[in-house]
Amino acid sequence: MFTLLRDLRRLRRDLDLPRPDHGRSLAIRHVDAGSCNGCEHELTLTVGPHYDLQRFGLGIVASPRHADVLLVTGTVTTRMRDALLLAYHAMPEPRRVAALGNCALGINTLGTPDALIGPVSDVLPVDLTIPGCPPTPDQIADALLTLIDGHVPST
Amino acid sequence: MNRAAATFRADVENALAQGWCARSLYAAEGGRVVRVLLTGPDNQTRVESVVPDGEGSVPSIVDLAPAMGWDEREAHDLYGVGFAGHEPLRPLLDHAAPLESWTVPVRGHDPYQVAVGPIHAGVIESGHFRFHVVGDRILHLDARLFYKHRGLERAAQGSPPAAAMNVITRACAGCMVANSVAFATAAEQTLGLRATPELARARTFLLEIERVWNHLNDIAAVCAGVGMAAGNTYFLALTERARRLNMNLAGHRFLFGSVTIGRSDLVLDADALRSCAQELAEINAAVEVGWRELAFNASFQDRLDAIGIIDAPTVHRLGTVGPGARAAGVAEDIRAASPYPDYAGFVPVTPSTAAGDVRARLEQRVLELRQSFALLCTLLDTGPVMPALAVADTDRQPIGIGFVESPRGATSCVIESAGDLVARVRLRTGSYANWPAVAHAAAGNLLPDFPLINKSFELCYACADR
Repeated sequence: MFTLLRDLRRLRRDLDLPRPDHGRSLAIRHVDAGSCNGCEHELTLTVGPHYDLQRFGLGIVASPRHADVLLVTGTVTTRMRDALLLAYHAMPEPRRVAALGNCALGINTLGTPDALIGPVSDVLPVDLTIPGCPPTPDQIADALLTLIDGHVPST
Repeated sequence: MNRAAATFRADVENALAQGWCARSLYAAEGGRVVRVLLTGPDNQTRVESVVPDGEGSVPSIVDLAPAMGWDEREAHDLYGVGFAGHEPLRPLLDHAAPLESWTVPVRGHDPYQVAVGPIHAGVIESGHFRFHVVGDRILHLDARLFYKHRGLERAAQGSPPAAAMNVITRACAGCMVANSVAFATAAEQTLGLRATPELARARTFLLEIERVWNHLNDIAAVCAGVGMAAGNTYFLALTERARRLNMNLAGHRFLFGSVTIGRSDLVLDADALRSCAQELAEINAAVEVGWRELAFNASFQDRLDAIGIIDAPTVHRLGTVGPGARAAGVAEDIRAASPYPDYAGFVPVTPSTAAGDVRARLEQRVLELRQSFALLCTLLDTGPVMPALAVADTDRQPIGIGFVESPRGATSCVIESAGDLVARVRLRTGSYANWPAVAHAAAGNLLPDFPLINKSFELCYACADR
């Protein structure tokens, strides 16, 4: 365990990621509405040491009840529509919706029409769009930071 | 049962008795025919077909080959085919069906249900688990997936192979290369093309590099499954390095667009080979450091033994494939029979104690990583990778079949062509084959161990749902 922690500390020192100039936070709840798992893989790495989204106060929370932002991936499938709406309505207000990845934005949608509802904006009011196939952890982090009031990009 | 139907069942039964294995079952021609893909002891392939009777029903083979259970349920839900003898034929993709129709009745003293998902607590794909428990003990698990069903196969059908491939291989980012190579191989058979050793070499490289980042990700996932943040973060950092390597080599962090029917555009010059070999060597060394640290962490080790067991007889019965099967001592791997020259002499590895539990599946990933690093090392030593073409020197087959060992196990792709178009495509991934094993492995364990059991398989939902 000591070696792991030591190596991670070295990595953190070598990466020397800039620190935010203010203390803010944003709680994010992710919902996969029909993705290929690419956006999920990249989103997972945004909390890894190379990006360390938590340093900006951005955290992925376990319940929509705790969330400021609903982060939705994938073209919404017919089978995920109801669950997505349930999650949204479980959130406290004010709440924001971010559509992550080209599928969620309706770009180059693939599939059979009767299995799909469409882009996230067909189901929920979208406040933030994050294009890419999939967007890189950097792009995801930069986009989410714009939802924090008064944020000045530091990279 | 008409005569054709009776012959079909007898043919399948005879084949299974002679050591053949059912690999995929699907409805084609809009449900007017059902086909079973079988592979033989010497890796021959054959396809048996049966036409539904007047009531739209064919004889079930689920009693002969339980691994085809999901396939029959899928053919019923998507194409309306009945399977006589498959009782009860539970809904799989039909989410409008009532709870009682797709769950197994569990009776006795105080059992109750815990419903989890489709939305999970972490950054996880969508799927629903219905646990039947007494206290913390899981008696039975009904998994309901296909929340992410996008109808990719139907959307791909009626297109030329290249367009169909763009649709179907978007099923899953994690197994993009494996699924693409399976599709391309099947498509090439329908086009009368044969992969040259140079083309095979480029694909072997991509397949192994995909396996490396997936296995790193999966080891991180097991650490997350026991809440060990240091191990999780350490292996996530390695996953990121592997993802960056993908970007440098093929221009995409998930290697999208790196596999093409009939050719390869991958170029690795001497400089790229050197830097790739260097980066892989460093990742390899870091894996060994991390693995040793995990081995000496008692609270981590304490969680692994005798949890989520899938033993060898269960592997054979459920048709489990990939690391999950090999961790039970079943040394089967598509690579061992691959026609690609760089896989010549490949021998599947299994753990020293192939107990089929979480420990064995974790160790299996490390053993396979070592094997992939060694394979890649040899491959990079052979010289630059240059653009390559398939050669047109074989007959065009009406049905093309591609087999690939994905990071999650044997993946098959069947393409039925009509002229220059894809009439039917069935992609059956390692994840699809293994989901029933996850449900089976959960029974008898504690509910809090399920995330760990699930992570030790780390299957894609996207791959299964399509």
